[in-house]
Amino acid sequence: MSDSAREVLLDIQGLEVHFETRRGIARAVNDVDLQLYKGERFGLVGESGSGKTTMILALLHMIKTPGLIAGGRAIFDDGTDLLSLRGDEVRKNRLRRVAMVPQGAMNSLNPVMRIGDQISLTIREHGEEGTKQELAARVTQLLDRVELKPEVAMLYPHELSGGMKQRACIAQAISLGPQLILADEPTSALDVVVQRQIMQTLRELQLQLEATVLLVGHDMGLMAQFAERVGIMYGGKLVEVGSVTEVFRNPQHPYTQLLISSIPSFERRGIFKGIPGVGLSLLDPPSGCLFHPRCPQAMERCSRDEPGLTSLGTEGHVSCLLHEKEETHGTSA
Amino acid sequence: MHRLDQILYYLRENPMLGAGGVLILFIVLFGTLGPLFVDTELARPLSTTSRLAPSWDHPFGTDDAGRDLLSVMVVGVPLTMRVGLLAGTVGLGVGIFLGFTSGYLGGTFDTIVRGVVDTLLTVPGLVVLISIASTIREEISVNIMAMVVASLAWMWPTRVIRAQVLTMRERAYVQMAKLNGMSTMEIIWKELFPNLLPYLAALFANAVNYAILASIGLEALGLGPQNDPTVGMTIYWAITFSALIRGMWWWWAIPILFIGLVFVGLLMIAAGLDELANPKQRKAV
Repeated sequence: MSDSAREVLLDIQGLEVHFETRRGIARAVNDVDLQLYKGERFGLVGESGSGKTTMILALLHMIKTPGLIAGGRAIFDDGTDLLSLRGDEVRKNRLRRVAMVPQGAMNSLNPVMRIGDQISLTIREHGEEGTKQELAARVTQLLDRVELKPEVAMLYPHELSGGMKQRACIAQAISLGPQLILADEPTSALDVVVQRQIMQTLRELQLQLEATVLLVGHDMGLMAQFAERVGIMYGGKLVEVGSVTEVFRNPQHPYTQLLISSIPSFERRGIFKGIPGVGLSLLDPPSGCLFHPRCPQAMERCSRDEPGLTSLGTEGHVSCLLHEKEETHGTSA
Repeated sequence: MHRLDQILYYLRENPMLGAGGVLILFIVLFGTLGPLFVDTELARPLSTTSRLAPSWDHPFGTDDAGRDLLSVMVVGVPLTMRVGLLAGTVGLGVGIFLGFTSGYLGGTFDTIVRGVVDTLLTVPGLVVLISIASTIREEISVNIMAMVVASLAWMWPTRVIRAQVLTMRERAYVQMAKLNGMSTMEIIWKELFPNLLPYLAALFANAVNYAILASIGLEALGLGPQNDPTVGMTIYWAITFSALIRGMWWWWAIPILFIGLVFVGLLMIAAGLDELANPKQRKAV
């Protein structure tokens, strides 16, 4: 499970997304480096406004003015840079290579089109022709893969339950066998039972397709069950990356530590603490480390120096001055 | 045959559409089959005895100039319908094109379209129509009449369609269609257009109604085709020769009745289409 053993699918380097406002520039995604491996399930966690969704929208060229992709690259395994694609290439790339499972499946289906028609329409839009029967067979097969009955193809979205709608969205997302599936809180509007079933389906499909899934969310429990590796975002920066067991068992960044300790568990009882303070304003970010005003372990130099990315043993990285100091002393966590 | 059964069954479930359809069908048959039973020559002036009240020989009576009003209606109702349908179709067509493109694409094009529409909407329509119609009065025909009315029938559809497209453009399923790699035109015609069908049907009925009303308004002022016995021109002659105070009620009441039937029929179809095109309102078939 070391870096060299696994092939990199997508290499994101220095991704910057800025929103230009009257009051200045908000750096919604701030110099993010991230490598996604082939066939892995990666979880991206962070509080609201930390830039998770913005980051995946940037990969799909869906940032709208006043937002803009201000810098960085996202290199696919064949060498194409997702961020430098132009015009029709962007459109062709969507769904065929990078598919998205939307946040609100409730509203993500066209209310006046039958499910089957919606799925076959997107397939045909990508230049895959076929007779009506062939397309219908394909739709049936896709529905079967997400555990929906063939009859669903003839139904309208309002005739489906929330979970079924989400499954239909997943069927559409996998229709062209994408290598990367971006799932933006796919289960946030569903109850926990359905949530679990959907995540299981997503995991099975991911294994069958050997695709990479980038799951975005703030449900730490869901992440722990689903992901192999997780990344923690704060204020547009990726503050910690590591395997799910490492991050949960032995979090390195003070923000991650507070995040983990705020999850209720059966073992630890007592009063749960939240994280003191409120999320930062992107228009007026603090100097130095973005987290230092809320950090219980903040040192004097945290308000001056911006932390870089420090490697943590096997495959983790952390962006915290506490660890940079350790490195200079030659010890490791 | 099976298909016909289904349609008939559906119409029983949706009486509004059925009733509106029957009304308009009646008007259309009146105009198309009427000439087989009624002598259209009697629609010309001086062709029969003038000033007769309705009787068996002349069911709708005759006017001052010696026209048989039944024949006038058989010739005139289709002419008026033609003006309405032509002007309504052109107006809505232009409105759909401009509304969808400016609403979806935005930018400079949208600014120009919006500016022009908003400016033109503040100008009183009748004034513009009168000035256009009076300058080309010499050679006015039914088709020219339709184009005159259409010149003002496109702004309102453009404006309301643009507003609808603006709200739909931001809905999640349109964003998803974009994320799934659909092209702009495909999104406009396959995703947005079907969602607006009931709305467009209602707009079409309104546009036709507006066009008929505008054409009758111009005709009642004497700015219509002088040689064609349209419904509006019949009302114009009835006004000119004071049919109201001379007690010739059939002269003005009959054209008004026909116009009323057309309006009610179109509105019922619009309401019925709303149910047909909106699957949320559709009853199980």
